[in-house]
Amino acid sequence: MATFLLKRLAFGLLTLLLVSIVVFAATQALPGNAAIAILGRNATPARVAALTRQLHLNRPVVAQYTSWLGGVVTGNLGISAATQQPVTQYIGGRLANSGFLVLVSAAVAIPLSILLGVWMAVRRDRPADHTMSVLTLGLAALPEFVIGIALVLLLATNLSHVLPAVSLIPPGEHAWNVPREVILPAATLVLAVTPYISRIMRASMVEVLESDYVTMARLKGLSDRTVIWRHAVPNAIVPAIQVSALQLAYMAGGVVVVEYVFSYPGIGAALVDGVGNRDIPVVQALALIIAAVYVVVNLLADIVTILVTPRLRTAGR
Amino acid sequence: MSDSNPKVSLTRREALRGALAGGAALGISGLIAACGGSSSSSSASASSASSSAAPATGKIKVGGALSVGATGGGAKDTIDAHLPTADPDIMRVWNLYEPLAVRPPSFGPLEMMVAESLEPEKGKADSWVATIRQGIEFHNGKTVTPEDVIFSLQRILDPKDPKVGAASIGYIDIKNVKKISANQVRIPLKFANVGFPDDIGQYFNAIVPVGYDPAKPVGTGAFMFESFTPGQQSVFKKFPNYWQTGKPYLDTLTIIDFTDDTARVNALLGGQVGAIDNLPTGQIPQVQGTSGLKVLISQTGEWQPFTMRVDQPPFSDYRVRQAFRLIVNRPQMVEQVLSGQGRVANDMYSPFDPAYDSSLPQRVQDLEQAKSLLKQAGHEGLTVTLVTSPVFQGVVQAAEVFAQQATGAGVKVNLQKVDTGTFYGPNYLKWTFAQDFWATREYLPQVAQGSLPNSPFNECHWAFPGTMDASRFVSLINEARATLDDAKRIEILREAESLEYNYGGYIIPYFSNQIDAYSAKLGGFVEARSGFPLGNYWFKNVYYLA
Repeated sequence: MATFLLKRLAFGLLTLLLVSIVVFAATQALPGNAAIAILGRNATPARVAALTRQLHLNRPVVAQYTSWLGGVVTGNLGISAATQQPVTQYIGGRLANSGFLVLVSAAVAIPLSILLGVWMAVRRDRPADHTMSVLTLGLAALPEFVIGIALVLLLATNLSHVLPAVSLIPPGEHAWNVPREVILPAATLVLAVTPYISRIMRASMVEVLESDYVTMARLKGLSDRTVIWRHAVPNAIVPAIQVSALQLAYMAGGVVVVEYVFSYPGIGAALVDGVGNRDIPVVQALALIIAAVYVVVNLLADIVTILVTPRLRTAGR
Repeated sequence: MSDSNPKVSLTRREALRGALAGGAALGISGLIAACGGSSSSSSASASSASSSAAPATGKIKVGGALSVGATGGGAKDTIDAHLPTADPDIMRVWNLYEPLAVRPPSFGPLEMMVAESLEPEKGKADSWVATIRQGIEFHNGKTVTPEDVIFSLQRILDPKDPKVGAASIGYIDIKNVKKISANQVRIPLKFANVGFPDDIGQYFNAIVPVGYDPAKPVGTGAFMFESFTPGQQSVFKKFPNYWQTGKPYLDTLTIIDFTDDTARVNALLGGQVGAIDNLPTGQIPQVQGTSGLKVLISQTGEWQPFTMRVDQPPFSDYRVRQAFRLIVNRPQMVEQVLSGQGRVANDMYSPFDPAYDSSLPQRVQDLEQAKSLLKQAGHEGLTVTLVTSPVFQGVVQAAEVFAQQATGAGVKVNLQKVDTGTFYGPNYLKWTFAQDFWATREYLPQVAQGSLPNSPFNECHWAFPGTMDASRFVSLINEARATLDDAKRIEILREAESLEYNYGGYIIPYFSNQIDAYSAKLGGFVEARSGFPLGNYWFKNVYYLA
């Protein structure tokens, strides 16, 4: 298992390196540069020239990349072209906000979906199961921004004013200190990912419940609760773990849309803005972080899968 | 909604009473002035009468905190007095800093701010004297001196790092700007220009103290800096020593960035902000239908032209330009692009300038005439590329509507939609057929920005050497700039205008309305013909209703 982990880690690092090259090349392919983007309508030749000099944008492309890479290895993500402050300082607070949002959503969505999946599987083909099936299918078909806007209409603007419509987290404040501002965006993410995980859980649970050993367990006279939670769920959960990991990784990137709808001060807005500004250090840092989340989450899912699957767990011995 | 709301009608009645009282006071003071024979006392008492008219309604509550939702913004947000670009930047600058003078929301005559007066020296427009307002202070307690004015101009015109204003006041003879008394500065120009007060009287030409550091922003505005986080929000507090006694009314002003229009409107609907700028036209009914909210619609002089390069085929033939102007169905464009929120325009800008010639016939769509002009020019069945980009709301939609209308004259318009980074890239100001957007300006300042060979933003290349009527246009403008007599100048400008009306490169289909929204708990917002949202963003005039 240790060699497996090391191998996976090495591949992960290689992936990140490739991502950084691709993202860098993509930002170079974008027309215009940071100076033009920052000046906008005022991009007269004199001012573009002055700002290009100030931002050191006239260096050769390869030199820009290698000096950036050198910085990353030593933990320095560079200086944001748009704000002129270190990237770590600019994205630090936002990263914490987005991380909190994703973790809270995952902490709610994953157990909820698994419970829901089990609940549906046990009531297979009964009205409750059908109702939930239709509901989750409907939710899965809706894009996040529709869910978000619907929640805003229901809870913040038109029907009631229970929760804030947009997440105005004051700068310097952390999301976890102002939980009210996080409820709606988190709820949106939960509603967006729950259908996928719960439907997978239901499908694999249905399959397991039909298997011989479950019938055997029932014939032995074990209680329903024991049959479901001790014998069926541990065998049905592997696909749900895999899909949870995918959803978690998806949230790390998909959080962009939700942050947009709620003006949530996270990395999503910073990434969109960074691309618009041609702010390469910021785009690079965020792309790298999101890619790292993908790599790590998938690695974790594999580890958990191994741990819950005795056949795999003992394979190396 | 306003008719069914008793609170509003009460306000209106009281406002009417206040206005009547103000009018009476004006009449009386005018009478007194007439008796005394002093014109200065007349203007002084008139202003005191108008300022007392507002409190006469008994509605102003001093104090309170206001949060305002601004459009856009992001990492490139700045609080530098001389570098505002995006909407939140402009909002910050209007509240923290002040130029020598500026057009008020009504776009009436220049209102003196840091300067008490700005006059041509010895009756000639090539040198101006700015007299600094008595005792006016910066936020740090320092009195404004001629040195600060000179420093500010030098900072704007720094050749190594020119600021936004460099494009409008680059003709100041900066080396010879001199202090001439304890409160006066002489500003010589490289050429005579009557339009100088308007050129310098822009929000981005603020006066800042010697040694100004944008990290610790200091100005003379009604609010002073407390905090600023790019892409999120800035917090300002009341400047107690503001020169307009009694203002501002609010204790705290928070400006919040909103990248998404829907989020900004939701924040207002949900009561998280008290006012927002740039309400999308589609949302007007919803906000009007919500009790406790008001929509502020201002007719402005803002225009979003199509720009045809007069020195590039096919537009180098003036008949093609005329044909294109006749292709546009302007009322339809106002309907489809602006949802009716605008006024039909006549290919001329600066509608509030006394020199604006409203006697020129209104252009209407005439496809037959357009076809015949194109045929004469040898461009039957013309195909052109129109470069469009979401640089301003409605611009891309206008391009789509134009392309559709052009088919009526047998013209095929290929739309090349690019992102703003591309639009402002290396081809910026060189596109053969593109679009642009402009604020409300008087005619001469606007010509300086976009219609002279050395203008910073002359997208049509109008009056470039060798183009049609170039030398005539340039000499008319130079003559007008040196003419202090209003009537004579207007006559000259009308001829210049008629050249642009007949042969220019702009298609100006409409002047768009400015639409903002705010909570009915607030007062003091006025319509802004200037086009700057929420009454020039002048939150110094805004208060909570008692």
